[in-house]
Amino acid sequence: MDFEFSEKHKLVRRSVRAFAEDILGPLAPIMDRDAQFSWEAAKELSKINAWGLQLPEKYGGAELDSISYAIVIEEISKICAATGLTISVHNSVSAYPILKFGSEEQKEKYLPNLASGKKIGAFAWTEPNAGSDAGAIESLAIEEGDHFILNGSKIFVTNGGIASTFLIGAKYKTKDGKNGYVVFILDKNMKGFEVGEHEDKMGLRGSSTTSLYFHDINVPKDSILGKLNDGFKIGMHALDVGRIGIAAQALGIAQAAYEHSINYSKGRIQFNKPISQFQGVSFKLAEMSTKIDAARFLLYRTAFLKDKGVNFSKETAMSKYYASFIARDIAQEAIQIHGGYGYMKDLPIERYYRDAKVCEIYEGSNEIMKFIISREILKGNL
Amino acid sequence: MLNIYVLIKQVPKSDNLQINRKTGALIRRNVENIINPDDIHGIELALTLKQKYTGTITAITMGPLQAETALREAIAMGVDNGLLITDPMFAYSDTLQTTLILKEVFEKIKDYDVIITGTETSDSSTGQVPYQLSEALEIPLITDIFSYEIEKDLFKCQRNFGHESQFIEVKLPIIIRISKHFNKTRHVPLSGIKRAFEKELEHIDFNYLNCPSKIDGCNKSPTQVIKTEKLIHKRKNEFINGSIKEKIQRILHIMKDHGVEKRWMNKK
Repeated sequence: MDFEFSEKHKLVRRSVRAFAEDILGPLAPIMDRDAQFSWEAAKELSKINAWGLQLPEKYGGAELDSISYAIVIEEISKICAATGLTISVHNSVSAYPILKFGSEEQKEKYLPNLASGKKIGAFAWTEPNAGSDAGAIESLAIEEGDHFILNGSKIFVTNGGIASTFLIGAKYKTKDGKNGYVVFILDKNMKGFEVGEHEDKMGLRGSSTTSLYFHDINVPKDSILGKLNDGFKIGMHALDVGRIGIAAQALGIAQAAYEHSINYSKGRIQFNKPISQFQGVSFKLAEMSTKIDAARFLLYRTAFLKDKGVNFSKETAMSKYYASFIARDIAQEAIQIHGGYGYMKDLPIERYYRDAKVCEIYEGSNEIMKFIISREILKGNL
Repeated sequence: MLNIYVLIKQVPKSDNLQINRKTGALIRRNVENIINPDDIHGIELALTLKQKYTGTITAITMGPLQAETALREAIAMGVDNGLLITDPMFAYSDTLQTTLILKEVFEKIKDYDVIITGTETSDSSTGQVPYQLSEALEIPLITDIFSYEIEKDLFKCQRNFGHESQFIEVKLPIIIRISKHFNKTRHVPLSGIKRAFEKELEHIDFNYLNCPSKIDGCNKSPTQVIKTEKLIHKRKNEFINGSIKEKIQRILHIMKDHGVEKRWMNKK
């Protein structure tokens, strides 16, 4: 066992940190205030290959390992969690499933554009009547001739308004009466593909979230990702991977809130001494530090298991659940330490709190995470 | 096709350095090592030169094995090769010993067109190596340029010279000492990192040198660091009370104490 970062991981962190502080630092508060995704940031992210973090070199990716991936998402999210989400979703639930399950033709068609950031990816499963109950989706693709006709809708689609390449989960029905779940790779320019309004959110306001509507979309069969009946498996595996990104994102928010709390409490004088010297505050800092370390180690173990190629459903659920839980908790305590200043929009502290909350909800709610963890441990996977 | 060499140094990141109060030495535990900030601008110039005129860029550094990381970071930015000069005999080299070693290295390399250096290192701030190396290799050193072009073997540039600017034309090979205001550096592209860690780096040690008798970093460096002290800026406030006359007397007294009065009086 080795708890040291390699020189490579250190260089990844140093490089991304410098990028995030220089480029995203000035943009983050504006993106949050205006609820606006930044195409300027997107262009800069292309220059450091942030759109193709783990894609192979031959498709134009940076071919990083999963620990590096977690480091990148953490460092970006520490400065701008909205951008962290955009990048995380693009890489983990859009580009990655195509790499893992796609045919060679599909990979060559989609991956170079996704790796360069020329096209942004999204993944849509959730529907108005299917949140935690992922099997309850109602979007339906009916086989007709050599293609499928897709109807239905999706909600809360991250990157919905900025993506061109969409992975869409749907139920299907074949001519011979077979049914099941399928994932399609669709282009937003297809006839009948409609993108809804930009959602007005509590946090992560600089990321795009929209609905999608499908009106009799004519889907050719070469748009099917993997095999026809593999849709549910592909969707759930994508989410397993996506949870690494969300845990890393939450960790970045927690780290930012923690560092602000340390700096502020050392400089804020009350009763003639820095408030960090009062146990009421210093114990909070101790708790923050411990929780962050615990979340960090859970996350890196998950990333390590993913690269080893073994099942990591339980571990990824643990790390997403715990990191998002402590991120919201630490952001909340950070506001408490900053007092009135923390509640004002002049400082980013209140943004951390708003940004952190959704990590407990999306990519499977934390209740679903506990369901997955308990299912695994009761199965004997202790 | 230019053969470009860029000299870099690995230094401790200087935003939170701590000094051992007893020994005056830098506490290196938990200190992050980075490429000397000035040298990043040198790398950027090398990359721009390559882009404009084609060529090969080699980053050179001298230091312990861990300095490999600095070379790898340079490669991640787009540099082609990394060369590490490392040997226990080179440890504690001052600028003159460093120059002598570099001289031998470049005499063996022979085929170099442009050598780029930063202005100074953030951990010692001497800034002497570019000048010394120019003397040692007997090639021109160009400093403070703000525009340039290369035509065949001619380097034409405009450089700052006080409040004036000079046009200079020199024949390659040359040394360019770059200042950090010259260019804006790029961020490390993540796609470069994998390549950087797969790349084999060349090592040069004591036995590689032609004339090693002059080289002994520890014993033949004319510069000796006697003591390192933390610089503490002390400001003292004094409120001057009393009548106008008393105040003037007091101020004159303070000026006298600091030797200001003397200069003032002499002028008179």
